Amino acid sequence: MSLSPVEGVALAEIESTGGPEEKGLVGRSPGQLVWSRLRRDRTAMVSGIVLAVLILAALAAPLISRLYGASPSQQFGDLLDATGMPLGYVGGVSGDHWFGLEPGLGRDIFIRMIYGIRTSLLIALGAAVVTTTIGVVLGIVAGYLGGVVDAVIGWFTDVALAMPFLVFALAVVPTFSLRFYGPRDAIPTWFAVTTLIVVFAAFGWTGTARLVRGQVVSLREREFVEAARASGAGLGHMLFRQLLPNIWAPILVAFSLAVPSYVTGEAALSFLGVGLPESVPSFGRMIYRSIDYLQTDPAYVFFPGIAIFALVLAFNLFGDALRDALDPKSSR
Amino acid sequence: MVRFLLKRLLLAVSVLLAVSVVSFLMFFALPRDPVTGMCPKNCNAERLERVRTELGLNDPKPQQYVNYMKGIFVGRDLGSAQGGKCEAPCLGYSYVNSEAVSDTFARVLPVTLNIVLPAAVLWLAIGVGLGMISALRRGSLLDRISIGLTLTFASLQLYFVGAVLLLIFVYSLKILPTPRYTPIFENPAEWARGLVLAWVTLALLFSAIYARLSRAQMLETLSEDFVRTARAKGVAKRKVYGRHALRAAITPIVTIAGIDVGAALGGTVITETTFGIQGLGRTAVEAVRQGDLPTIMATVLISALFVVVANIVVDLLYAYIDPRVRLG
Amino acid sequence: MRARLATAMGGAMALVVALSACSKNTGDNADKVDTNKPRSGAIATDPKDSLGPAAEVPGAAKGGTFYILRENKISHLDPQRVYSFAGLMGSQLYARFLTTFKDDGKGNVTLVGDLAETPGKNVNNDCKVWEFKIKQGVKFEDGRPITSKEIAYGIARSFDPDLTGGPTYLQEWLADSPQYDTKWNFKANKTSLPPGLSTPDAQTLRFEFNKPRCDLPFAVSLPATAPLPPDKDTGVNLDNQPFSSGPYKFTKNQPGVEMVLERNPNWDPATDPVRHAYPDKFVWSLGSDQATQTNRVLAGTGNDAAAVATGGVPSELIAKVTGDPALKARMIVAATPNAFRLSINTTRVTDLSVRQAINYAIDRSSITKNLGGPYGAVPLTTLLPPTTLGYQQFDAYPAGESGNPDKAKELLAGKSVNLVLGTGDETWQQETATQVKAALEKAGFTVTIKPIPADGYLDFVKKKSNPWDIWVDSWAADWPSGAAILPVLFDGRAIKAEGSNNTSQLNNDAINAEFDRVLAEDPAKQAEEWSKLDERLMKESAPAVPLYNEVISIAHGEKAGGVFIGSIFGWPSFVNAYVKQ
Repeated sequence: MSLSPVEGVALAEIESTGGPEEKGLVGRSPGQLVWSRLRRDRTAMVSGIVLAVLILAALAAPLISRLYGASPSQQFGDLLDATGMPLGYVGGVSGDHWFGLEPGLGRDIFIRMIYGIRTSLLIALGAAVVTTTIGVVLGIVAGYLGGVVDAVIGWFTDVALAMPFLVFALAVVPTFSLRFYGPRDAIPTWFAVTTLIVVFAAFGWTGTARLVRGQVVSLREREFVEAARASGAGLGHMLFRQLLPNIWAPILVAFSLAVPSYVTGEAALSFLGVGLPESVPSFGRMIYRSIDYLQTDPAYVFFPGIAIFALVLAFNLFGDALRDALDPKSSR
Repeated sequence: MVRFLLKRLLLAVSVLLAVSVVSFLMFFALPRDPVTGMCPKNCNAERLERVRTELGLNDPKPQQYVNYMKGIFVGRDLGSAQGGKCEAPCLGYSYVNSEAVSDTFARVLPVTLNIVLPAAVLWLAIGVGLGMISALRRGSLLDRISIGLTLTFASLQLYFVGAVLLLIFVYSLKILPTPRYTPIFENPAEWARGLVLAWVTLALLFSAIYARLSRAQMLETLSEDFVRTARAKGVAKRKVYGRHALRAAITPIVTIAGIDVGAALGGTVITETTFGIQGLGRTAVEAVRQGDLPTIMATVLISALFVVVANIVVDLLYAYIDPRVRLG
Repeated sequence: MRARLATAMGGAMALVVALSACSKNTGDNADKVDTNKPRSGAIATDPKDSLGPAAEVPGAAKGGTFYILRENKISHLDPQRVYSFAGLMGSQLYARFLTTFKDDGKGNVTLVGDLAETPGKNVNNDCKVWEFKIKQGVKFEDGRPITSKEIAYGIARSFDPDLTGGPTYLQEWLADSPQYDTKWNFKANKTSLPPGLSTPDAQTLRFEFNKPRCDLPFAVSLPATAPLPPDKDTGVNLDNQPFSSGPYKFTKNQPGVEMVLERNPNWDPATDPVRHAYPDKFVWSLGSDQATQTNRVLAGTGNDAAAVATGGVPSELIAKVTGDPALKARMIVAATPNAFRLSINTTRVTDLSVRQAINYAIDRSSITKNLGGPYGAVPLTTLLPPTTLGYQQFDAYPAGESGNPDKAKELLAGKSVNLVLGTGDETWQQETATQVKAALEKAGFTVTIKPIPADGYLDFVKKKSNPWDIWVDSWAADWPSGAAILPVLFDGRAIKAEGSNNTSQLNNDAINAEFDRVLAEDPAKQAEEWSKLDERLMKESAPAVPLYNEVISIAHGEKAGGVFIGSIFGWPSFVNAYVKQ
């Protein structure tokens, strides 16, 4: 799946910059070491703060909505002209509507953006957790057991990589709800969100699986693994007690880079018309709708555009900084 | 070498078969009955039924799948409503376009190739070049700018960049024509002018990333023993960097490039939609929307083929570029 | 450093915004557009009306290449299979029909003979036997004369079940059965003609029906009556390379990319009452979406200056065009015959007062605003669109443009009503559903929006087992007569398990009987009757809420002249098109 170019390349980069690091030599724990490195990195701090603010805004959306005095589905049709364009300056920006109104439907852009961050982050984090979990389990199993198991998992990886993701999503997403709900049932938002997470999960695990497999292969013959094996440790213990703790660093980086790629992915699906239903505020749909207004209401393009850009960039920068902090060799 | 190739090929064929089965099943999950689209305004149940039988949609599903695969390898007869005999490799006859799927592909495939391949050359050249230079000038202003650009461009949305570039260069400054595909042999200048925006957009998003990757790889390689040895032996700087280090550093880049080019060939939907160019991606999207089974199958198979072939090419390139890798 | 660079990028974007958004929108641009022009129409009685050449278009010049921009390929080019608006209007360039509409683009249409000398002779005045005399001097692209034989062959081949897509009026009327292809097998009888169709001589074509078919002169204006010599019949492949009987012939056809039509030297303007054929060439340039097409012709670079963007100006770009007088002068706005309604499933919403309450509650103003206001849709309160012959405006449930939720609540009288609103998942469909839901909930309804994939939407609502209560429907008639609208949409006897056009599933014996009575009347008298029946349906049954009449706004380049919106299909017509020199 190549929705965002960042993820795949970043994974390759991790892969090549060597295996897991030896435990810190100074008396500090690796966690402390990483934290102090992050603290010193200005980019990491700035992007971290941006992320914190956005996540906080997403969590507090209902509260913000109450304070702000508008709900995401509320329409202000009176503030639009006869062709549906917002009256006033810069797409209807005013004291009541900080970022103006959506042309056509007349909903408040600011509050929809706040709710949009909520939806997009939910999908992105959900998809990242699921894909990372699948990827780690498959990768660790394939890498440790090798042989037939490795070949089979590798084959499934090849198949998943060869399926054109967007075509598949286009075909599957719209039909999903038809299978689970009757023709008269309302489809809850959580279901629509879950559908997207499932579709991302079906294709997104390959990168992490390959990465983890590579790491495990290089660890397999190390002394501590040999020692554990010799002392008769079970498979579960080997995989999750001995190997996993030694590769958490690259997994963490992969995870932090996967999140923005799913934010982008949700936007790409909206662009093809298979995102969330219209009533659910999401970044993807907002961006996709606003692009058409580039010439007639640029403010509508600007506000959500800059927000999704900031979100994705902050995640990418943070992931980048995290990798630097975890990998002493690449420190500049 | 021969054994390796044979093994890879067998694996590739099995992957393609799996993809074909999955996409075949996917089609039957679509909500749209493809037949209704082929019926006029006042269609009735009997006529629908007959069309369905004629298309073979009433056969058992495994039978339909076998028929389709048979068409690819030995050809088959599609009946008078679908242009009659269809020679191998028969990709079927479109339910909605009233033409053989192979004709559709003869038209749209070159378009996609002409978008992706030059764009890939561009993003690799810029990306790898930039990455190498930043690695050699580590810590310089150039280095920092290229790292900054990397993440900034990669964080933008393709259709966003595309829409802005279109507005600036085509509709406002009017220095470029509306994106369109002109065959290169017909008019090379028009070919370039018509596709340059698509190339640049793809290159902007991808090359920065390659810059990052190749910078990291280069730094890694420069610290390796064989480079240090070569330098110590007094081999000229340029020769060391250009021949030894670059070769070693480029290997993982080739892997990623292979996957990216393969995926981009199969997934140019958004690029093509943004620039209004009818290639493989848009054809696939329309086919899914209209429930056009033969076209869906063919687009999925062809884009899967690209990915699989790209993987094999990467493996072969590996051996050629990096003497440390031996096939077997 | 990295963070600073990002800030710079943000700054650049802010600049883009600032450059283009510093003016205040006071709402003055959107002045009232008159799209409810009265229509007048007639069937030509004077044979002179059917004679060529067509009157010159002021300012028109011969020569040049005219470009037509469109997104998708035209679904069918084979005249016997043509049924899309683009196909119907585009086929006029390469095919001629028995009759055709003389259209001034201002709503005045006259049905005249095209290949026929007159729009048909009702031999016994009972609409059962019709005769058409074919003009002298009409020729195919290879110079052969067109006679009644080739026209009859064209009609005969539309019985071929392989040739899907086209209208089926003639086949069903001749065979007197919807299963026309079981009554007469084209493939087995290629040298004979279907029952009821005959060619007494080379200049005469005769139709004999079992039932009165008073709409025949209209029905034979569809491209299915285009002539074809049997030796040029390439079956399904004719779709890629039709054989021309009109002023142009195909010289290149790349489906989905480009079609080139060049002059047919054998076409004689003296025989043609409507086509001018000013440009030397027509080029269909396919692939650009609505917005791209509009941007192209507005920018007008190179060939795009002589181009028309058939996709219409999307509502997102309306403000750009109306805000600039130079651009506004290059936009043509006209109502189409496409009428949108909120269909009510009368088998589910059985309570008339609830259906009436929905009618009062609906907010047409918010729906049309979202579609571009007067440039995209005009509110409609009748089932028939204003383009119908004999149209009478009325409002059975006067509630103002924004609806009257209080009146609706009054009718509901405290009942709590849950409605499932089905919608396609395309953007405009989902947004219209949002607006409908908002208006109905103001009146106390509870509404569940149920989106399904847009392409399956039509199949879904046409099922008898349709599980929804309300949904947005549309109908564009094949000719501007109430006969092609009301009985098609509301005759209860036509309800089928699948594919019913009567999606409201209204089945009222009195109304059905009234349909039969009006259909048997003289076409000229019918017009008034349909409008009365429209009002009766709305008042007595309220099977739907008329929503809006679609308006098409199309932009063209500076050099593209003579384009107008055809009154019959609401799609650009090219018969007067010319390239300004």
